[in-house]
Order: sequence, then structure tokens, then C-alpha cells
Amino acid sequence: MNGRVVWAILKKDLWAFSRDRLWMTLTVIGIAFYVIVYWLLPDTVDESLKLGLHAPGLEDVLGTALAGAPEQGLAVTTFSTEEALASALEAGDGDLVAGLAIPEGFIADVRAGARPVVTLYVPGEAPAEVRDAIGGFASELAFAIAGTPPPADVPGLTEVVVGRDRAGDQVTLRESFRPIFVFFALMIEVFALAALVAGEISRRTVVALLVTPARLVDFLAAKTILGTLLAFAEAVLLMALLDVLGVGTGPLLVTLLLGSVLVTGIGLLAGSSGKDFLGIIFYAMAFVLPLAVPAFAVLFPGTAAAWVRMLPTYGLVNAIVGITTEGAGFGDIAGDLAALVVWCFVSLAIGLLVLRRKVATL
Amino acid sequence: MADTAAVHGHDHDHGHDHGHDHHQRHDPARDDPAIRAHAIAFAYDGSPAVAGISFEVQPGEVLGFLGPNGAGKSTTIKMLTGQLVPDAGTIEVLGMGMPKRRNEVQARMGVVFEEKNLYEEMTGIANLRFFAELFGTEVDTDALLERVDLRDRGEDRVADYSKGMRQRLMVARALVNRPDVLFLDEPTDGLDPVSARAVRELIRDEARRGAAVVLTTHDMHEADDLSDRVAFIDEGRVIAMDTPESLKLEYGQRSVRVRRRVGDAVEEEVIGLDDDGAADRVRDAVAREGLLTVHTDEATLEDIFVQLAGRGLV
Repeated sequence: MNGRVVWAILKKDLWAFSRDRLWMTLTVIGIAFYVIVYWLLPDTVDESLKLGLHAPGLEDVLGTALAGAPEQGLAVTTFSTEEALASALEAGDGDLVAGLAIPEGFIADVRAGARPVVTLYVPGEAPAEVRDAIGGFASELAFAIAGTPPPADVPGLTEVVVGRDRAGDQVTLRESFRPIFVFFALMIEVFALAALVAGEISRRTVVALLVTPARLVDFLAAKTILGTLLAFAEAVLLMALLDVLGVGTGPLLVTLLLGSVLVTGIGLLAGSSGKDFLGIIFYAMAFVLPLAVPAFAVLFPGTAAAWVRMLPTYGLVNAIVGITTEGAGFGDIAGDLAALVVWCFVSLAIGLLVLRRKVATL
Repeated sequence: MADTAAVHGHDHDHGHDHGHDHHQRHDPARDDPAIRAHAIAFAYDGSPAVAGISFEVQPGEVLGFLGPNGAGKSTTIKMLTGQLVPDAGTIEVLGMGMPKRRNEVQARMGVVFEEKNLYEEMTGIANLRFFAELFGTEVDTDALLERVDLRDRGEDRVADYSKGMRQRLMVARALVNRPDVLFLDEPTDGLDPVSARAVRELIRDEARRGAAVVLTTHDMHEADDLSDRVAFIDEGRVIAMDTPESLKLEYGQRSVRVRRRVGDAVEEEVIGLDDDGAADRVRDAVAREGLLTVHTDEATLEDIFVQLAGRGLV
């Protein structure tokens, strides 16, 4: 490899990238968009459970029964009529997760041995587990109001939290979106690199390069360095603007560098495969879309299926989440980094091989 | 003529003097060939493109490859420049084997491609500087652009150049390293007559400087005008190779066309100069009454190619 030649090609490519209005505009707009949206997203999680209640004549009893509710994250809003409660739930007023309507004369009926019916209102989109939880809560509340002991005692219970206890400190939407923004920042550079590579091929300028002292290995090295440099610089800039660069700086930089190498391989592959702008977009999207799945899976913790964990970007996303959200160090993300290193080799090897074969056919 | 023939020391006094003075410096007995190709062959997916071509080019000599599309001209150039590795045969450029010593050879050669593979988003000057950097050399871009009449457009983006300007910049790019061997694939393709003449003069200048020049062309006039020797290529083989003048003498038919008025009609007589008694017949023809015009006819390179290959150059 000839360092002088690699440097000459790299300088030329950096200059070309800086003059490419499309990708420069997309890069700047992309970063600005991610940063603005990030800072607009809520950085807290409201962990309280908001419950609507219609219980005529039971205000005093309920005041006693629910005295400790706010401390336990339960916020109760009372409604004068059952219709008002149902309307509020339907309209989504007050972020109510459910509503309870306790009939008038509830205590007297219970004491008389009757079985009054308590109505549970839940929004249509409420998941089954929320309905079950509110149902259980309604039963306990009914027993408390009626002054009747529950049918069974709960045996001694000790709560053991595995991992970091995030009660009161849930992952915010802002934190959840962070890996998504980083992923898309990296992916913009996939397109930019692919466009540069495709340009060299379609205009056959690479042929002119290869009858000078420049060798194919110099060309491939320059493109690899360029792609990695662009993606890494953008990812680091984004992390700085999101104010998370100071959190686990070492592990984060290593993760972003590996992620940049990973997307560089994809960029080389897309650039070698696409013959024109639409071709580049098609091939790049064909890789980007499945690789984006792990980034979106972060929005729903614990939902990543086995096949999602096998995707090349899973380690990248998981490591970023671990470092920036959990404060993970090298030891904590070693598995993710190891997987990422393997995928970097695979991605880069395929990208370089395809580009090499493409150039050989010119 | 055998396709393995390498004709050197050809007679430059056949009246085929294009203004070259390189024959004063070019002494075949003293100089090693700048390019030596022996029985080179190449096939694309089993389909032969070049089938055993041999030739030599001396420093300061211009060898023109003339042939129709698909004859094997560009494939030959690609093998000589290291873009393709021959399936058979050997190539030496500047005394170095190709492709084994491709790095050293490519550092001393210049190539003008048929396609205009310039960096269009860069200026003309930036293109030249970039390639000079690849060669690890300094380049006087102003002087080089002046030679191709682009000095006042050097700061413009190549994307804004006309086809002719791009072609001239391609030629300038091939000269950034002052090459010892120059390969030009259709160097005046698409140029207007004035630009084409300027490029031809540039090629002559490079030959005068001592560069060995190999060019391919469809244009028989260009080949005739520029080349010290031409090689006719057809179906991957050299079917003839010599100086244009020698080819014309060997394969062409020389004749005199005499037109005279006979009554109200115009009569034309064509007298072959290689025929028996030609001199007497010419004398008689011009001595008769009513003489209007006398023309000498000479075969063109295309005529000769058609005669040898049985088809035209296009």
C-alpha cells in the first residue's frame, strides 16, 4: 500500500464529499433534525397510574382507603357521574389508564350479603395485563371499602430487583430514541459513500487511477478510510450535540468506530451494486431497513426476538444503550463489541470483495 | 505481411515526413524498443479478442493501430497498460516485463482513454494536480493547460467543459508525469478540426521529446498523418504493419486519370502506373488534343485495409 497515494485519493474524496450538495445537505439537515427532535422529546417518565373513580357516597371511606396512594404512584380522579367517567376515558382526558364505577349503596349491599357489581372502564387500546392489574386493584379496593378482609392472605413477600432498579427512573423517550438517531446518522454516510464509489465506477475514473502508481489496494483503502471517517465523525458530532459524549467516552468511541466500519462495508457494497442514483438508493435501503430493526426494538425493551439479536446492528445498538443509559463499561458490553467486531470483518470483507470484482470488470 | 513482423529502421525518406525529426535521434541499432509485445493473446469468456499479436515500438516512434470496432485495438492497449493480463505471450515496456513490473511501468506511462473518465466535479487544474500527486510529481498546470489551449478554463469545473475540451484535458492529464510511453485510444474522437490538429501536434511533440506513442484510431487520415508505422488489426490479428507510404506502395494501385474533350463529350482514361508501358500511355494521353485535366490517384489506408481484410474500417 502506498500511503502517499492513499492520502491523495482520500483528500480528493473528502473534497468531493464537501462539494456534494445533496449529501452535505442531507447530513446537515439530518443532524439538525435529530438534535432538535431529541431535545424536544420528554426526558422524564411519568410513572404514576391515573385512575378515574365514580363512587357516590363513599368519599370519606375512599379518602381513608387511598390515603397512601400518591406515594405508591396512584393518582385518583373522581367523577360525579358514571357517564362523565366513561367520556373522560374515551376522550383520553387526564391520561387515565382505567376507571372504576362503584354503585351507590355499595357498603350496605355488601353488608346485606348482596353482590353489587363494580364496573371497570378500560380504554380499547389498553393491553390485557393493564386490564388484569386494574381488575385486581378494583377487587382489593372493594374489600377495603367494604371493610371485609381479602379471601386469602398473601404470604411473606420479599422483592428482589435483578439489575439496576429503575423504579422512578425509567428509560425516557429521549434515551430510547438515541440509538435510532445514531443509527440513521451512520446510515446517511452509507448513502454518501455509496454515491462516491458508484461515481468512480460509472464514470470509470477508477480505471484512470489504476494506470498510475495507484493500486487497487490503495483505492480500496482510501474508500474504507473515507467511509469510516465520515460515519465516525458524524456519529461523534451527533453524540456531542446530544450531550452524551461525556458518558463512558472510551467505550462509546470504540462502539461508534466499529459501527462506522460496519456501515462502511455496506456503503462499499451498495456503491458497487448500484449503477445510478436510484440503484444506490435501492441497494442501500435493502440493507438499511433490516438493519434498522434493532434500533427500533429499543423502543420496546425486552421485545427483541432471537432473529433481531442476530442482526449486525444489534450489538451496536445494545452497546450504545448500555453505555449511554446504563453507564456500562467495556466489561459490560464486551459481548456486544465482540459481535460487532465479527460483523465489521464480514461487512467490510464482502464490501471490498464486491468492489474489487466490480473494478476488475471495468 | 506476417503479423509477427516488427519493421524497424523503415525508410523515412519515402516522402512521409510529418515534421518529425525523431529519426535523427532514433537509432534502432542503439535504442532498445520502448515496447515489445510478443504473441500476446486475450479472450473474453473464451471469445478471442486478440490472437497472437507481436510488435515493437521504438522511443520517439508513433505506431498507429487501425481497425474496425471489435478488432482488438483497445484490448491490446489494455494489455499494454496493465489493465488486462494477457492469456498468452509476453509484454515488455521500457525493458520491464508486464504485468510483473506494472508499478514501475505505470509510473512512466500516460494513457488517454476512449471514455472521458475525468473527475467532472473538479476543475481542470484540480484534475491535473490530483494525478500529478498520484505520480508523486510536481506539475506546471498553467504550462500544460496552455499546450492544450485550456489555460483560460483551468479554474472551471470539468462538468462545464465541452466534449472537445474534455478530450484535450484527457491528453493533458496523460502528460502530467512526462511519460516515456504514451497510449492514446481514439485521441481526437469528437474533436473539431482545429482541436484535432492541436492534439495531433501535441502527440508529435511528445514523440519528438522521445516518448514512444501507441494510438488507436478509426480515422485513416489521422493514422496516415500521425503514425510512423500503422498496424492494421482485424479479428484480433495484425494483418499488415509498415509505414503508411510502404503500405501504399505495396498494396495500393497507383494510376493517372486523364480527362479530355472529344466533341461535345468528356472522355476519361485511367492508366495504371504499374501496368506495362504505362509511361508511354501517359505520354500519349496528355499529348492528345482536348486535354482537360490530369490527376494522379493513390490508394488510401482504408482502400488497403478493405483489400486486405475484405471489409471496411467501420
